[in-house]
Amino acid sequence: MNKILTLIAILAILGGVLAACAVPGGGEAPAGGEEEKVILIGAAVSETGKYAREGGDTRKGYLLWEEWVNNEYGGIKVGDERYKVKLIMYDDEGDPDTAAKLTEKLITEDKVHFLLGPYSSGLTKSASAISEKYNMIMVEGNGASESLFVRGFKNLFAVLTPAGNYTESGLKAVADAGAKSVVIAYEDTAFPTSVAEGAQKWAKEYGLEVLAVETYPKDVADVSGIMSKFKDLNPDVFVGGGHFNDALLFIRSAKELNFTPKAMIITVGPSNPKLVKELGADADYVIGPTQWDRTMSYKDEYFGTAEEYAQRFEKKWGEEPTYQAAESTAAALALQIAIENAGSLDTDKVREALNAMDVVTFYGPIKFDETGKNAGKPMGAIQIQDGDIVVIAPESAKQADLIYPMPPWDQR
Amino acid sequence: MGFLRRVWRLISANGGIYSWLTLIAILALYPLLTPSGAALLTATQLFMLITVSSNWNLIGGMTGYVDFGHAVFFGIGAYLMGILVTVVPDYILFSPQLGFWQALPLAGLGAMVFALLIGVPTLRLKGPYFSIAMLGTFVAMREIIRLLKPFTGGGEGLDLPPVLNRTRDYYFMLIFMGVVVALMWWIRRSEFGHSLLAIREDEVGAEMRGIDTTRHKIIAFMIAAFFTGVAGAFWAFQNTYIDPDVVFIEQRTVEMVMSSMLGGLGTVWGPPLGAFILYMLQDLVWANFYNLHLFILGVLLIFIVLFVPEGIIGTLGDRSSTSLGRLLSRGFNRGERTMEERA
Repeated sequence: MNKILTLIAILAILGGVLAACAVPGGGEAPAGGEEEKVILIGAAVSETGKYAREGGDTRKGYLLWEEWVNNEYGGIKVGDERYKVKLIMYDDEGDPDTAAKLTEKLITEDKVHFLLGPYSSGLTKSASAISEKYNMIMVEGNGASESLFVRGFKNLFAVLTPAGNYTESGLKAVADAGAKSVVIAYEDTAFPTSVAEGAQKWAKEYGLEVLAVETYPKDVADVSGIMSKFKDLNPDVFVGGGHFNDALLFIRSAKELNFTPKAMIITVGPSNPKLVKELGADADYVIGPTQWDRTMSYKDEYFGTAEEYAQRFEKKWGEEPTYQAAESTAAALALQIAIENAGSLDTDKVREALNAMDVVTFYGPIKFDETGKNAGKPMGAIQIQDGDIVVIAPESAKQADLIYPMPPWDQR
Repeated sequence: MGFLRRVWRLISANGGIYSWLTLIAILALYPLLTPSGAALLTATQLFMLITVSSNWNLIGGMTGYVDFGHAVFFGIGAYLMGILVTVVPDYILFSPQLGFWQALPLAGLGAMVFALLIGVPTLRLKGPYFSIAMLGTFVAMREIIRLLKPFTGGGEGLDLPPVLNRTRDYYFMLIFMGVVVALMWWIRRSEFGHSLLAIREDEVGAEMRGIDTTRHKIIAFMIAAFFTGVAGAFWAFQNTYIDPDVVFIEQRTVEMVMSSMLGGLGTVWGPPLGAFILYMLQDLVWANFYNLHLFILGVLLIFIVLFVPEGIIGTLGDRSSTSLGRLLSRGFNRGERTMEERA
């Protein structure tokens, strides 16, 4: 038995020595970029695991920006010099332990200058706690939960509209069209909870009476209980906060029960063309918030219009950009603009530039409030009209007018 | 081979104690040698895996009650930590908001009490029924936490104060791991430990020989729950936020089981060795075979179960029942004999 103990001890020592040797080796690599002027930007983003799809979109958004800024734009302007960008990305597998470890690695071993965010609110929470500890700036485009911005972090900046504002433009549009009452159902996880709390706030703001608020657990298989309760209340507007599958459930269930509110506002699902494919005509008239859409009329001097960005994306990746991809590119672009405005790689100066930022990009306006949220960008709203996704709000980006009220299920 | 055997003999005769002292010195000085937060976090995570695997091994390996839901104690510890440092003051007016160090043992005690409550009914179940009951407990607890929204934040979870200190975490987990492994070492040699082994081998026989099997099982279960709960509480603080889906991950239990099996079920040094190899493999394989890492780990697991079912320590031990184990054990012994004969 003692022999075995000794064997373990030796193995452990060898392991420790190997690990100790490996660490400095990894840290030296970036030092070689001295002559070439390189800015190192790091991100831990899922490539496998439960966020593989959305994480993949995030990666594509970042990589598109890297390729553009190096090859086409000629590098980030810092004072009179041009800096190439080296993007270091790792796969966090959707696992918080791995995400924390990789974020630490990016900061302490790869010695990146700036960080871009991971995908999902949860992973952004643990990653931003680490970047705050090391006083590293993190610009993110994929963590919308409001609870990210109440921790007093001064280095976290988010270009996307926070979850609390998701339903704002949709509710305003239906209120303007004459709606008076609203019911809300949402999934009991971080992001939908923020959406629903925001919906209650905006409903009040626009003079809508909230008749009922219901929650349901994650991965729910049936929402008919909630929907039949809502039917009895006979509200003007139904708001559903959840993910893609929940949107399918809400619409199917409403049709089965013949529950016809005058408008349905549902998060995540409607902006995805797959919803129309799944539901056909039943998806018509459903309203959904969208962070970004290629038809929006925003443009900048970097990527051009939203449509031009979308075409560039299609050319590189052979698929349409989702809004997750667009907001990732926008996060990187915001960081670039801040570095150029600061004329320095110094964290404090770049932070100042981020705080002072007030620009319009292909993705929309970017203007951070004191908590790091993007207070400048209104959430868009789309409505499915005749099988097409069309933007109905905000005014500055809209393609068509809201159709209200939606016709009953049997008259389509 | 002859040379290697000679070196090995030399080290095992004289070097054992020095190897250990060197190892302890390296571990104690590690934060000074590599001040990289990533390296410290990696080591801390490894120590945590060793700790929870050793605890799983107490109930799963030594007592023979394979617990497929052991991560439930990790989760309870994590949530108690979260609740004690964030939510409590809102509900109990006279309780001051607890700090990290006060909440840590309380979280462990909470997990222990839960082990008592859940152990009394479930430890009467035998074989796979206990495993399934614990798996059920694990899944049910995730949903219960989701429903207890006023305390647990429901699906939204809780945000802990984002105070990170990798050096403190490293030393805490190192000492904690040392305490747990030493305790396992002591238990394995104590009468209590032998009673647990007797229960594993033949529960009815143990009962007939006057061992109060129910009491023994529940005490082992509670010890394992306490330390796993503390580890969970520590994790919650280190991760700075918790929600049901990041805390109650099936993978945690799988890792505990895999480490123990790889190293050797029911042995003191099996789980630490297994956890060490598993963790290093995950890191190494992950870094070098990017998209194949899950496949490679899976194949490895199948290989272990088929060819080294007793784990590394079990196979190298004197009482191995597999042919590979007997072969290795003969090899070692023959080496020693020849050395002794020469001397």
